[in-house]
Formats: sequence, structure tokens, C-alpha cells
Amino acid sequence: MTAAAILRAEALAKRFGGIVAASGINLAIRPNELRCIIGPNGAGKSTLFSLLCGIYRPDAGRVLLRGEDVTSVLAFGRVRMGLGLTFQTNRAYHNLSIRQNLEIATRGAHARASEPEKRFHYALSIFGLDASAETPARQLPHHKLQWLEIAMVLAGGPDILLLDEPTAGMSPDETMQTARVLQHLNHTGLTIVVVEHDIAFVREVAQVVTVLHHGRIFAEGSVAEITAREDVREIYLGRA
Amino acid sequence: MDVLGLIVSVLYQFATNAAFLLLAAIGLIVILGMMNIINLAHGELMMMGAYTATIAFHRGIPFPIAVVLSFIVVALFGALLERLVVRRFYGRELGALVVTWGVSLIMGQGTLILFGPFMPAISIPAGSFALGLYSFSVYWIVLIALAVLIILALWWIYQRTPFGLMARATMQNPAMARALGVNTDRIYMATFALGAGLAGASGALFAPTTSIAPLMGQQFVAPAFITVVVGGAANVLAGAVGSSLLLSAVKTPVGLILGAFLGTVALLLTALIVIRLMPDGISARLQAIAERRVRR
Amino acid sequence: MRTLIGLINGPEDIGRSQWFWLLASAVLLVLFLLPLWASEFQSSNIAYYLLNIPMALGLSLLWGYCGVLSFGQVAYFGMAGYAYGVIAGNLAGNTWGPLVGSLGGLAICAATGAIFGYFVFYGRVQNWIVPILTLVFTLLLETFLGQTAGYQWRIGHVQLGGYNGMTGIPSFQLGSEIFFGYPFYYFTLAITLACYLTCRMFVNARYGKVLLAIREDVIRTELLGYDIRACQLGVFVMAAMLSGMSGLLYVQWGNYITPSQVGLFQASLPVIWVAIGGREKLLAVAISTFALNWLNYALSQAGNEYAPVIMGALLLAVMLFFPGGIIVTLAAGRRRRERSRVPISANEEST
Repeated sequence: MTAAAILRAEALAKRFGGIVAASGINLAIRPNELRCIIGPNGAGKSTLFSLLCGIYRPDAGRVLLRGEDVTSVLAFGRVRMGLGLTFQTNRAYHNLSIRQNLEIATRGAHARASEPEKRFHYALSIFGLDASAETPARQLPHHKLQWLEIAMVLAGGPDILLLDEPTAGMSPDETMQTARVLQHLNHTGLTIVVVEHDIAFVREVAQVVTVLHHGRIFAEGSVAEITAREDVREIYLGRA
Repeated sequence: MDVLGLIVSVLYQFATNAAFLLLAAIGLIVILGMMNIINLAHGELMMMGAYTATIAFHRGIPFPIAVVLSFIVVALFGALLERLVVRRFYGRELGALVVTWGVSLIMGQGTLILFGPFMPAISIPAGSFALGLYSFSVYWIVLIALAVLIILALWWIYQRTPFGLMARATMQNPAMARALGVNTDRIYMATFALGAGLAGASGALFAPTTSIAPLMGQQFVAPAFITVVVGGAANVLAGAVGSSLLLSAVKTPVGLILGAFLGTVALLLTALIVIRLMPDGISARLQAIAERRVRR
Repeated sequence: MRTLIGLINGPEDIGRSQWFWLLASAVLLVLFLLPLWASEFQSSNIAYYLLNIPMALGLSLLWGYCGVLSFGQVAYFGMAGYAYGVIAGNLAGNTWGPLVGSLGGLAICAATGAIFGYFVFYGRVQNWIVPILTLVFTLLLETFLGQTAGYQWRIGHVQLGGYNGMTGIPSFQLGSEIFFGYPFYYFTLAITLACYLTCRMFVNARYGKVLLAIREDVIRTELLGYDIRACQLGVFVMAAMLSGMSGLLYVQWGNYITPSQVGLFQASLPVIWVAIGGREKLLAVAISTFALNWLNYALSQAGNEYAPVIMGALLLAVMLFFPGGIIVTLAAGRRRRERSRVPISANEEST
């Protein structure tokens, strides 16, 4: 480990009643990395994101952002420190237009970035969205709605992007388009962590893959290493 | 100085305050715990119970029977209310709040129009006894005992009956419960009826201690709501008991030294502090502690 | 100037078309010329309907635009009224007394709202706690004020008056101009209009957009970097001051105030006005407040005891059948019919 981790989880644990959502999670994301997190349903991927962002407080463990302990920092505080998150269920503002969505997004993490106009146009251009229509976002085709949410998060000028199943419900074409955009963003210096199910997508973009299972880190390695492993395939097929 | 008498008197005050809060709030908490709805008609349901008991009592029905009658009458009314009005607001908590307030306005003023401003009072059954310099009301001792009994009865209902099992399942995960064949609609109606019935019974029990008037429910609104806020919705019984005890522990000394009004102010301040530290109420904190202990 | 017009004509309230502004101007003209054919008594009544509007606007901002329901707005109404009575009463004879009293009333509302709001919003409590605690607060205030009878309950030489309330509260005065009768009517009209326009500009401005975002999706908004607690606290203080403004106008209108103004029934009124008109649109709330106060007055002429029952029934009916509010539903329906030629029709109703 040469470069210090930009985002680190140390021994994170979280229970909901009788359900262990996370247990002893140690994660280190290096700057400018493109990491994919995979695992069967219920493995705790979304919970992990919620813990990293501050939506949930962990029962144990710490979250460190650029070496600083942010475990007790509220979610909006972490966003202002450069974190960005999209949700598994699309959380753009469905009743507002694209323009309104992005306007709200550009002014959010204001402590961090300046030039809201520039960020507004940048966010639009990333996915080629058109802000001229006044129609509510819920009328957009599904993939554009997903892209809108990512654009919103980008409009805040984050350094780290956490994307929870961004290509869910997208056609293979749209998935690959998304993959290319993420690669482009990664090349411009963004650190990206993606929870994904689509193996083609993972193969395309991932530099490192982390496998989650029953709230624990099951395996970690390059795409080739992980996809070659028999036991990873087993947990996906439910035999483990 | 009569130290023993003083100690007993303070304990007595503590117990009566706790019993008052518990009885005033239990109907509200039962409903809140199940449906996450605050029933703002709660005070009026208590009034309805008091009126039922008063009317029955003055027709010659013995007081204990009158209390049971109040429970039944108000429970039935509650079931009706749930079916006609409250049912449409599940998932819209604030809407439910507002609509039950509309109901409370109608009930309060409706009672005034129908029955006039006053009802003949019920005098406190059973007298008082003295211990040294201090006198104690037998009736309040009975109320304390009843408060304990009601909690035990509810515990038994929720933990030991099929209804209780289905109710707990519905509270935790309504969709799952439905998938397992639980008729959640009926559970909601039964729970609302139970909560209403408890409110009615409490109103009947308090009837001898206060004057019977159409707006009498209002005196219970502030204490009941504070108790519910401090208790939280995570666990109905733990919240009710824990909250009443904590709030009584605040109200009793403040009330004795600074007077009843400041005692109630202290309750509000306690609630503000509690929600700052434990936003989901005492019951959530108790639940977390219990879970941690189970894990070890 | 163009930004000002843009802010007033923004999308977050009802009415942007030329038609609308024509109609609005006509209504304003009528209101302005009212004293020509209305007696002082009638103008005074209209002033009463108007002065409740700021409080309703505050609740609309809080509930409709921000998603926070407060059942205790009347507490600030009462606090401002009593504070004004105390300050202006003690400064009687001083021509600037009323002004100082008014500013004092607003300051007390802001301070109390800030403290109360801090505990509630920074505690990140569940939604239903705010209405309950605000209701309890106003009930306790009523109880307190009710037991202030007697000479020992006075501040300076102004008695609080217990359940009978405070009387002889000075009218508002600017320099040598005392506002009473017709002048007071114009004064109320001006202030109400100013409050309305300010609120309307606010919701169309950038900060107002944040409220919209909070109402739409709290978690998403927080995860864009917004401090939700601070936003809610800010709006809560605004609503407190707007309620205080109504309270000030009230005591300057009637020269008296009683503890029942902060009691349970009065507390329900703003919620009723806002729910019936449509909490998500300021203009709807302004119209319904005016109309319902008029209705209440008409009912009280006919026998007061039915007023709460009718209000309760109206509230019930609206919540069941027009959840977005009567006026908002009507306005949305009208917009839908206007747009029916365009294939994509924006459905802007919300519950």
C-alpha cells in the first residue's frame, strides 16, 4: 500500500434488529481508483454506502475521509468534504424539471466549490442532458433519469463518487455508455466506487473488485482474479 | 418531623403522577406504536369515556361496570372512526394528525351542543386514609394498581395471544405479515379500537377526579402528548412505562416545590432535552440496550 | 427591477398569466377603494380578515413548502401581542413606543422560535413530534397567561390580566400619526400585502428552492450538501415572526388580547385555513384565510356554538376529498384544462 487511502472503512459493523448488515468491514479506496463492489442481494452493499456517507451511524468501527475520522460527521458534512452518493432507487427530484434538479444540486455543497454556472453546464454536458424542457423529471426515460441523478451529484463538484447500482434497468447499450462516462470521469481524477450486478459493466470499468457477502468482505482483487474464483461464483448462485 | 410519613407521601405523589401520565397516554401510545399515527382526538375519546361512565353511573350502574362500559363504547366508536376516516391516511402521518384534529373539534363542540356545558359530577368513590400528618386517597391507590394491571394485561395480550403475535408482526413489517396471511386491515382496526377503548376507560377512571365538561379532554392533551414524545414508538409498553416513570420523577419534586404549573413546564423541558439526546424516545434506547445484552 | 418581477412572477405560487395579474389588480383596487363605500366598522372587519394572513403564510411556508407541521403558531401570535402590550403600554406617551413595542414583539418571536426550533430540528426528530411539541408549548403558554390575574402579575405598570387578558393596548403610531379606523385598515392592507409579496419572492428565490427540495426528498437534499436542520430552523423562525406580525396587527386592531388567543381552538385555526386553501401555494392560503375568517364572522353572528363544528367538518371534508386543498385543486384543474391541447400535461397536484 503506497498511496494513502482517500476513503477508508475500519472494522465497520451495523445491525438492524437481528440482521447483521455489516460486520468487520475493512475497506481502503485509493485516490483516483475505480472500484466495483459486487455481491448477491442482501450482502450489505447499500448499507455499506449508507455507513460511508453518514446516513447510518455504525455500531462499531470508523470511517476516514482523507485520513480524517468522519464517523461522527453528519451526511451533509461529508458531502461538503467531497463525497457524492447516488441511491439504489432513483432519488432525483421527480416532480421538478432537469433545470430545477441541477440548480438545486449546484448550490448544495457550496462550501467546496465555486462557479455554479460552470458546474451546471458541466453536469449537463457529461451525459448530454437537455435542460430546456420544463417537464417534470419523472417523464424522462429511465436511463436518463439515472444519468440525471449522477449529473446532480457531479454538479456539487465531488472528489469521490459512490454509485449504487447506477445501471439497474438500463439496456446493454446504455450500460456501456454509462461505463464510458465513468471511465472518462475517472480519467479526470475522480475516485469512483460503484455497486454493480452487471458483470459486463464490472469487467469494462473496474480496476479493483470487492466482493461482499453476508455483511462481510468475502474477496478483493482485480477483475480477472475475482471472476476466475469458483467460490465467488458459488455465493452468487447461492450455494455457499 | 414525621419522616416516614413524608417519604411515603412523596412516593405516593410519585406513583400517582406516574399513574396519571400512564393512564392518560396509554391509548395514544398503543395507536402510535402500531400505525405511527398520532390521534389528536385522544382527549375527546377520553371525554367520551367520562361522559359514558357518568351517564351510566347516574342511571344506577355501579362505577366499575360503568368503566368497562366506557371501554366498550369508545372502542366501538374508535373502530368506526378507523374504518371511515383514519384508514385513508396510512403513510400520511401529518394528514392523519390534521384529520383527527378535525374529528376532535366536531366531537368537542358536538358534545357541548348535545349535552350542554355541564354534567353532574361523580364523587370519588372510597374515601381517604391518613398516615401520620399525610392523607392519601384510596381511589388513587386503586388507579395506581389499575395502571399496573393495564400494563400487565397489555403485555399479556401482545406477548401471549395470537392477536398479539399478529399485531407485533404487523408493527415490524406489514407487507411481510400480509404475505404470511395476517389480515392487517383488521389488526389496524382492532388496535385503533383498543387504543380508543383504553382512552375511554382512562377518561372514565379520571371522571371522579375532575369536572365533567365537553372540553375536559383538553387537560389531558399536554401530559399525554409529552409522555408519548418521551416514550417514542419503538416499543409500546417500554415506552409508556419508562416515560411515565421518568416524567413523574421530574414532575413530582418540581411540582411539590414550585407548584403544579411549573411541574408541567418541567415536563415540556424534559421532553425537549430527551428528544435532543434520544430522538426516537426512551423506548428506542431501551430496545437498543436490550438487543446489545442479548448479543452477549 | 427585472429580477424583482421575476421573483414575484415565479412558478412556486398560483397565478402567472396576464389574466391573473389583471384579476389581482382588480381585487387590489377594490380593497384599496373599500373605504369609499364601507363604513369604518366594516373596514375594521375586513382588516381583521386580512391581519390573519401573515400567520397563515408562515404556516404555509413551514408546512406546505418545507414539510414541517406546527400546531402552535398562535403561541407567537400571542407572545408578540402581549409583548407589544407590555412595551408600548409602559412607553405610553412616547410617540415611538408602539414602534419599539412592535420590534420587541417580533424579536421575542424570533428568539423563542430559534431556541425552540434548535431543540426540535437539531434533534432530528421524527415528523410527528413537531406538531405535538408546538401544540404543547402553546397550551402551556395559555395556562401560564391564564393564571396571571392580580396586581402582582405585571411588567412595569402593565398588568397581564389573567384570563380576562390585557386591555387598553395602545394603537400603532408612527410619529404623530395614530392608526385607527380607516388609516388602520390601509396600514393592515399594506403590511399584509408586503408580507405576501415577500413570501412569494422568497419561495421563488434560491433559498426558497431549497425548501422545495426538502419537501420533495429530504435524504436526497441532505446528500447534496444541504444542512437540513439549519434550513428548517430558518423557516421556523420566519414563520414565528410572521405569526408575530399577525399578533401585532391584532392587538393594534382591537387594543386587547386574552389567553384564549393561544388556546387549543385558536391553535387549530391556522391549520384549518392552510389545509383548506392548499398548503403548498401561498395565494391559496391567503384567499382561504380571508374567506374562512369571513365565514367565521358570519357564523358567529348566527350563533357561535356551531362554528367549531362547521370548521371541523369542513376540515374533514377537505382532507378526505381535496387533500391538496380546495383552491390548489381548483387552480391545478384549471391549468390542466388550459394545457389539454399539449400532449404532455404536467400534473402538479400533490398531497
